Amino acid sequence: MAILVDKNSKVMVQGITGGAGKFHTERMLDYGTNIVGGVTPGKGGQAVCDRPVFDTVAECIEHTGADVSVVFLPAAAVKEAAIEAVRAGIKFLVVVPEHIPIHDMLRVREEAVKYKAAVIGGNTAGIITPGEANLGIMPDIAFAPGRVGTVSRSGSITYYVADTLSRTGYGESTCVGLGGDPVLGSTFNEILWMFEEDDKTKAVVLCGEIGGVYEEKATEIIPKMKTPVLAIIGGIFAPPGKRMGHAGAIVEGKMGTAKEKLDMLADSGAHPCKTFKDIPEILKKLGV
Amino acid sequence: MRLYEFEGKQLFRKSNIPVPEGHLVSSPAEAYNTVASLKHAVALKAQVLTGGRGKAGGVKLADGPNEAKTHAEQLFKLKIKGFPVERVLIEPKLDIKQEFYVGVTIDRANYKLVLIASGEGGVDIEETAEKHPEKIVRKSFSVEDELFTFDAVDIAKKIGVPGALLRKAAGIIVNLYKMFKVYDAKLVEINPLVLTAGDELIAADSRVSLDDDAVFRHADLKEMGIEKRHEEGEMTEREKRATEWGIPYLDLDGDIGMFPGGAGFGIMGNDFIHYYGGKPANFMDSGGGPSPERIAKMLVLLDENPNVKTIFGARFGGISRCDDFAKGVIMFLKEHGLSKPMVMRMTGNMWREGVRLFEEAKKEDPSLMEKVEFHGIETPIEEISKRAVELARQQGVK
Repeated sequence: MAILVDKNSKVMVQGITGGAGKFHTERMLDYGTNIVGGVTPGKGGQAVCDRPVFDTVAECIEHTGADVSVVFLPAAAVKEAAIEAVRAGIKFLVVVPEHIPIHDMLRVREEAVKYKAAVIGGNTAGIITPGEANLGIMPDIAFAPGRVGTVSRSGSITYYVADTLSRTGYGESTCVGLGGDPVLGSTFNEILWMFEEDDKTKAVVLCGEIGGVYEEKATEIIPKMKTPVLAIIGGIFAPPGKRMGHAGAIVEGKMGTAKEKLDMLADSGAHPCKTFKDIPEILKKLGV
Repeated sequence: MRLYEFEGKQLFRKSNIPVPEGHLVSSPAEAYNTVASLKHAVALKAQVLTGGRGKAGGVKLADGPNEAKTHAEQLFKLKIKGFPVERVLIEPKLDIKQEFYVGVTIDRANYKLVLIASGEGGVDIEETAEKHPEKIVRKSFSVEDELFTFDAVDIAKKIGVPGALLRKAAGIIVNLYKMFKVYDAKLVEINPLVLTAGDELIAADSRVSLDDDAVFRHADLKEMGIEKRHEEGEMTEREKRATEWGIPYLDLDGDIGMFPGGAGFGIMGNDFIHYYGGKPANFMDSGGGPSPERIAKMLVLLDENPNVKTIFGARFGGISRCDDFAKGVIMFLKEHGLSKPMVMRMTGNMWREGVRLFEEAKKEDPSLMEKVEFHGIETPIEEISKRAVELARQQGVK
């Protein structure tokens, strides 16, 4: 088992005929991801990497049975594309583009909840179940099949954590990128609970960063979990009030400092880590 | 994107929220002339993109032009949390009977819009919420919800708006909520919403923050002169240069030049350097999929910074490609030259091609990579961080 995607997932790409869409469709296929088709309105009937292109998500689902979608579109087009996908029956959506208007993302989240679909991103590197499926832009070199789940707000941190887990023999069950935008399709909570219910996942590494409220919110669910959670937070030494990188990573007044987040997570039962090196050491102590 | 008070009030006016008649001035002489023509007592308000203006002495009252000029002279010398005062808003002094608070913001954790109102305006609403939660009225909405007048009347009543003014107050609340949605706002606040001695309701101050990522669909903002701007006080020369080049960059007070890939590790890499006893000289982010030219520029910023003793490079290619990264580093080494040691690690998307490019460049000119310690996936990033701290120390000893 894994969460959200595996080798049986039937994946479509929204924006498959665009530059990024094409490039990453090829990469995802190389990894062995089961991509069954793509959507670009007006380009129905064409093919990309031998996969059929459709005008609408509904048509793509009808002809290919797709149940998962990866979005490679300009930010301004994401709201429509995402709502189209979940209304047509897509159960899991990966939103790679960044800088999606916040009000759009609020709407997307509402629709996703209504149609019981999961959304990750915007600004996510994607999701990978090593050896089975790679959706998004993650480099496969870092990943190896295994027993630790990761959920992160940053692509680069996902790579480093996976690199550490792979190197030390733990490997990863599934790695989920929540995304770096200020409002995201999913919070840590939904993903943590999926890992809790997954037999293959023996521990979860939560990677957060300064700013936002999602780490604080995770403290509601961690005490309810039997699967151990390790937490690492970027920005412990970040100057307050300065914008660092991600649109989401700005400390809003007193709220959202990395130190407070890490302390709160530790209080809720997570095992705090300073650097990636601490992860295998803690896993070892926990007997994972 | 935070707006100046006067800009927020432009949006208020467009949204049918009453505001005082304002005059924007940029010199004490202009302040004198404006107040001389007004013939009533005024408030002079420094325009800065930060809170705490009142406490910093950024608001003054004046009865006439001479007093206004004296105050303006002080205001234009003022720096509020690093922000110089370049403009002052002059408005009629209000005769205040009561002050309310009305604001709309986003509850990110619950994916809702939240309307907040209070009968105690003019003060820090977060403080009120903490100390007297009973004095705050809160209502959540889904992003598609409309705010109806009957709900707004109810809210106005709860915060103590007198009966005769309920409909007017409700209209202001509804218009503020509409404005929040129309302009893709992250925060809109009227604080205070003033009830004057003449029983008028008027927005005495504005605090508006819009979503940078949605500005593209509001062409009228540009017409009003509202564009994306730097919001963090004064920039250093290097920060200005980086901004011109489109590189997110902050100067910090250490000596290790940070040359990371990815915003996430850009943030965490700074922590790592601290954990190993060093201090970063900067924060920097390459953005997704940087071009070789951009990579080269990032290195120019660090190499030309006299505070930087050594450079820490990390590239884990995802959407960005290691071959482009290598091309950028080589371009920098050839065209600019590296004047200090650099330790770096490169792996991820297209790493083989990246390594090949470095080897080729070395063959061509063996001295090119002399100051570069190059690592691949086999070396954990912690070791690279440690090494950077060590190199900086060695440089310090010299």
